[in-house]
Amino acid sequence: MLVNALERTGSRDALERFSIAIEKLGPILAAILLIPSSLAIAGLGAAAGYALAQQATHSILFEVCRYLLLAVTALAIVGPLFLPAADRTNPIRLLLLPIPRSVLYVAQSSSAFGDPWNLLALPLLTCLAAGMLAGGEPLGALLSLAAGLVFIVIVVGLASLATSVLHLLVRDRRRGELIALLFIIIIPVVSMLPAMLDPGSRRSRGGAAQPHTAVPSWLSATATRALAVVPSQIYIAATGNAAARRYPAAAAQIGMLATMALVLHGLGAAAFKRVLDSPGSSGARRGGSMPGAWSRRIPGLSSGASAVALAQLRLALRTPRGRSIMLSPLIMFLVFGAMMYRGSGTMDFGHIRFGGGLSLAMFASAMSLLSMLPIAMNQFAVDGAGLTMGLLSPLTDADMLRGKAVGNGLIIVGPCLFSIGLSYLVFGGGSPALWASIPLGLISIYLLVAPVAAITSAMFPKVVDLNSIGRGSNAHGASGLAGLLSFVVAGAPPVLLALLATRIFHRTAFAPLFIAAWCVVAYGIGRLMFVAARRIFQTRRENLALL
Amino acid sequence: MELAVETRGLTRDFGSFRAVDGIDLQVPAGSFYGFLGPNGAGKSTTIKCLTGLLKPSGGSMTILGTDPLADPVSVKRRIGVVPEDLALFDRLTAEETLLFVAQIHGIDIATARARASDLLDVMDLKDAGTTLVTDFSHGMRKKLSLAAALLPAPRLLFLDEPFEGIDAVASRQIKDLMQSFLSRGGTIFLTSHILEIVERLSTHIGVIARGKLVAQGRIDELRAGGGIGKTLEELFIGLVGGEARPQTSLDWI
Repeated sequence: MLVNALERTGSRDALERFSIAIEKLGPILAAILLIPSSLAIAGLGAAAGYALAQQATHSILFEVCRYLLLAVTALAIVGPLFLPAADRTNPIRLLLLPIPRSVLYVAQSSSAFGDPWNLLALPLLTCLAAGMLAGGEPLGALLSLAAGLVFIVIVVGLASLATSVLHLLVRDRRRGELIALLFIIIIPVVSMLPAMLDPGSRRSRGGAAQPHTAVPSWLSATATRALAVVPSQIYIAATGNAAARRYPAAAAQIGMLATMALVLHGLGAAAFKRVLDSPGSSGARRGGSMPGAWSRRIPGLSSGASAVALAQLRLALRTPRGRSIMLSPLIMFLVFGAMMYRGSGTMDFGHIRFGGGLSLAMFASAMSLLSMLPIAMNQFAVDGAGLTMGLLSPLTDADMLRGKAVGNGLIIVGPCLFSIGLSYLVFGGGSPALWASIPLGLISIYLLVAPVAAITSAMFPKVVDLNSIGRGSNAHGASGLAGLLSFVVAGAPPVLLALLATRIFHRTAFAPLFIAAWCVVAYGIGRLMFVAARRIFQTRRENLALL
Repeated sequence: MELAVETRGLTRDFGSFRAVDGIDLQVPAGSFYGFLGPNGAGKSTTIKCLTGLLKPSGGSMTILGTDPLADPVSVKRRIGVVPEDLALFDRLTAEETLLFVAQIHGIDIATARARASDLLDVMDLKDAGTTLVTDFSHGMRKKLSLAAALLPAPRLLFLDEPFEGIDAVASRQIKDLMQSFLSRGGTIFLTSHILEIVERLSTHIGVIARGKLVAQGRIDELRAGGGIGKTLEELFIGLVGGEARPQTSLDWI
């Protein structure tokens, strides 16, 4: 694949070949890593099976298997959501072929076997049974294998049902965009829940841990009841019973799994039929918001640059990925604000401890700036066909770059100000000079990141789908990395200057002065970098036009 | 004769493949120039070179008396383009698209609004003015793209396959607009596979095959040169070598 990418005949120049090769490296590495991972998981399964056969029912290895299979079940449901729209199979197209619908359903379901999590689950399940066999439990091994196979059929059914339901939902574009946006917001919040609910994180201001408070009993009972009907949990219970020679109980659980498989595939087939039968509607037509406001000219910019900047802002406001960027500070504020509230005004990250609204404002606004990378680091290609309109228009290269830089800035200025303002209002505290340093620091970072974003966007443009929530909407890997590095490098001077003011000079009032002076220097450096960006954009215009 | 477009030895290579091979175009000002050729002949590559999307590998060009390589912004101010992919922002409404074009051309907001309103009216897009382009049908996109090209009142229009994939009503609207544009002294450079339309509208044609310009001139003169009563289709097939293709009977159909 890599060699093909490097020698791809369709590519226009060496840089594009390099760009394609980098994009191909990810899947290649994943494929390479899948082999040792499968072997390791097979070994884990065999060891867990052997331990079970030796009546070690509470083996840590078996616990690991339990969590892995739980993850497989979850991924089967959410996996289709992360695929870019273009990668999803369009079952309607298959209707043109002379194939019965039942066969089409089997074909669609079977494609789930290729998902990496299923490829990893298969060796785990088979080797777990093999381990039990090696441990002297032949009947238990047979029952475990049967349970494992039915579990895989269930996972395939889940994936198939999730894919069909997603097709039905996203067929209406507006609803699809809403779902994508909800997932973008919900997933990070859910991932933070354990930390938010962790009673160990509640501390007094003095740092002494308070007595642990248990998770509410109703929550615990509901979670236990819900977990009991998760297919992976039933599989684990069946295997545990089989190893403990409680064969009737194991057989009953396999029966339960089989019933579940039948129900899921029944629902999956019905949903698939609905997908095939329903017309390909695209939902209600939508109007733009604030007509009139968009035709105003941004002060200090030429008419053309202003138009480009406002088009960039509208792109962010009207796509799920763009909206997620703008909503990210709210999520950050809620998550970390809750953590701080529980921690009585502090939050711990291992040995690093933040205290007060100042830290929250700094953290959330920096995260807002970082969340802009998918759009800023691919600022030309995100326009899609609109980029051609820009390239055909009488815009100078300088106006195009200026407009894009200002547009990207506009996308994040609101979220950053929101983070800082709300942190100040809710938590407050700290020196006013340090509060003033935060926006200045962010400005200095943006002044340096903006030209890097223009350069990498011109060098590594990538056609993306901003309605997607996964890699389909991410910038090119090289661009993303450059963006992250430039952010770190540009972030170091304001942090160091703030430390210089507070730790060396012991005068917090110096911090905004030092950082303001650094902003002037950063502006100069940024201007020089934009000269390079303009040259690179000029040489890459053709590649951008042919995207 | 004043020329709106003139190229001398225009060449464009993609690696070792020569897509456009030293063509000398002469498009008279005020003419309707139909640029014809079979699939893959180099029509779109030529139009991309002329509109500044691609840099020629060789040769020279003059658009409305200006070298577009030396002063691209000045040329782009005076031309309108409807490219193959229509070049529209999915997340702008029809009105916003037109106002965006107006802003880029530095047209004041009152004039821009008046022109946008007129164009949406003529294109029968008035009701869809506040709808996002992403929700437009192909025909609506095509009409909006043409409206966007016309808004700055260009002197020269480049239209790449404007009649492909649109219904008879939209086709009629576009034809009427083009006639109106021509009557006001504009020049149209059009590529199309629909020879009947080109035959009916064009005053001049150029035929490109395998990257080379095989014929160019007034349509009536070319037809007369090819034999009395010869249709454009017969002339075109004769020029691009379509008759020489071996015929397979496909008896099994």
